[in-house]
Amino acid sequence: MINSPTHAGPAEVTPIDPTARGPLLLLVGMALGWLLVSGTFALIASIQLHTPQFLADCSWFTFGRTDAMRESTFIYGWAGNAGLAISLWILGRLGGNPLRATNWVVAGTLFWNLGLAAGLVGIATGDMTSFSMLHLPLYVQPLMLFAYATIAISGVLAWGGRRTDGTFAAQWYAVAALFVFPWLFSAAQVVLLWMPVRGTVQAIAAGWFTQGLWTLWLAPVALAGAYYIVPKTAGRVLPSYEFASLGFWTLLFVGAWTGGRHLIGGPVPAWIPTVGVVACSLLIFHYSIVFLNLRVVTASVGNAAQFIRLGLIAYLLVGLLDMITSFRFVAEQMQFTFLATALQQLGLYGAISMIFFGCIYFMIPRIVGAPWASVGMMSAHRVAVIIGILMLVGGLAAAGMMQAGDLLNPNASLGDILARIRLPLLVVTFAQIILIGANLLLLVNFMKTAASRADGDVRVQNLFRQPSAIEASAT
Amino acid sequence: MKNGPLFFLGLLAAVAISWAGIVLGSHAQLGELPPYFDQVEGQIYPRRPGGLAARGQLVYADLGCAACHTQQVRRPDFGSDKARGWGDRQSVARDYIHQSRPQLGASRVGPDLANVGARWEKTENAAAGLHQLLYQGSSAHPNYSFLYEEDAMVGERSALALNLSGVNAPAPGFQVVPSERAQTLVAYLLSLKTTYDFPESVPVAAPKKSQETKK
Repeated sequence: MINSPTHAGPAEVTPIDPTARGPLLLLVGMALGWLLVSGTFALIASIQLHTPQFLADCSWFTFGRTDAMRESTFIYGWAGNAGLAISLWILGRLGGNPLRATNWVVAGTLFWNLGLAAGLVGIATGDMTSFSMLHLPLYVQPLMLFAYATIAISGVLAWGGRRTDGTFAAQWYAVAALFVFPWLFSAAQVVLLWMPVRGTVQAIAAGWFTQGLWTLWLAPVALAGAYYIVPKTAGRVLPSYEFASLGFWTLLFVGAWTGGRHLIGGPVPAWIPTVGVVACSLLIFHYSIVFLNLRVVTASVGNAAQFIRLGLIAYLLVGLLDMITSFRFVAEQMQFTFLATALQQLGLYGAISMIFFGCIYFMIPRIVGAPWASVGMMSAHRVAVIIGILMLVGGLAAAGMMQAGDLLNPNASLGDILARIRLPLLVVTFAQIILIGANLLLLVNFMKTAASRADGDVRVQNLFRQPSAIEASAT
Repeated sequence: MKNGPLFFLGLLAAVAISWAGIVLGSHAQLGELPPYFDQVEGQIYPRRPGGLAARGQLVYADLGCAACHTQQVRRPDFGSDKARGWGDRQSVARDYIHQSRPQLGASRVGPDLANVGARWEKTENAAAGLHQLLYQGSSAHPNYSFLYEEDAMVGERSALALNLSGVNAPAPGFQVVPSERAQTLVAYLLSLKTTYDFPESVPVAAPKKSQETKK
């Protein structure tokens, strides 16, 4: 790979990165730690699905609570910390100035993670809210909002003080994610927790928030990373780049309207799911443009690019499947089954996390100033994560297919259905074990790399003559 | 997109418009939904849940029961909900107006519970049966024994004590009684009934077709 044709662009050697080293490493370290915690909860929850008596008499770990803790640590712990690190790094680099307010980032990160830890104890002891992706108890939610704002200041300063005249797609997505999250989060808190709306309007508002979290926060962060890294690893400009802004605004304006599709057939006004179905179809414009722009990822080389490539494939797949499964005749069967879970995991793990992994593999050597400590661990992580995600999504999808057929048959009792899907659920448990192992490899590799930075400043100049070497590509 | 303020306004508009449309829009439509006054019976529906049941809903929420149970019956021609006996009609927004935290749910690992009170009421001593299920569990349901207390019998046996046999039976001289949380939870479950037909809940589709096409 040393002879790779990739050119060292001007952005490869930059004095901007070292100033951000501490806070960004802290954010990524926290993210990877929470990913393992989340994996552990996921393992417990997956065992409870096929063996309901597992930890059943322990009130901290009822399935509902375990699953809420899994989701909270995944969204706010892993994706939140990693997403902030990626957005700040991209905004700093494209803004052309060293990141400012980094002390605020450190302080905010500590409070964000303390708040999450306190929230987990709250969930375990019975204070969780009943809204998906917003399970953290209401008393930590203002703290989370405040901590987020403290971290985001740095990104806002980088955006406001940017040196360049024009802006890039990666910047739009990163800034959008940075601003939109606190709006979504606070609006959801107000209508769901502080001054709850009445009856099923709560379910509608919760659907809006859950969907917004995905389309207006997680997806934009991932796309910011992809739009930034893909042209660098492919060594060429993005094709049809002039359409990128159309893709961006389509996602922003249409994305949040798709949430209602999950309420099909439910006790809500019929226009809610209908608008969701229409919005899902409209969103195909966005996915097509992402495909047009980022299809050069096939020409990319390196470990980071491989993660991002798979993540983008999963992202496009999620868009297509979201549209197909929103139609009433499909929703009738797959609603309330593990197929919906499978699709969610394909999005959260297959798309978002894979792109985040790619961004982390690309970013860490540049901010540390040293290559990844172990190439072996890197390839092992990649292979294991791919296998793990395939088994996870495949297992859930298989369980969901069987469940979908059986649920329509009124003679099959729910107990029988659960017994029948035991095998795919065991596969899911196995997948969770593989994913824990894989992510442990990444965490160890990350810590070794971060610790090797002591003599990094001397070596960095030599290394950056061959930027592809720094990723220690395992291809 | 050189214009920073305009870009910012665009972001704000994207969030605000969707929020206004979806949240405020549905709030305007359903926020003031009144209960229905039945002139013949001289009653309003849905019935307001009692204090025990209202507290039980919070137990239901904090244990995360909604992770496996939905509380929304779909209309007869949409899925097998009616055929499974989960409810004769679809759930409508009016069913939930008295609930502080409607638990619609999104997964059916376990049965739908929108009408569970009406189902269990047909059995003898429904509360005891539900307590037994929660305490012992089944092949598909976890045993939430932490909701129950095993204490030494002093004097007479408690009227609430569970009738247990086999491996689950307490030691002689001991009894298993539901905790306050278990009692509120069961009171809540038994309060879940969608047996009253609101004008808007009459099935829209021809019932004949629904029974033929869904096997």
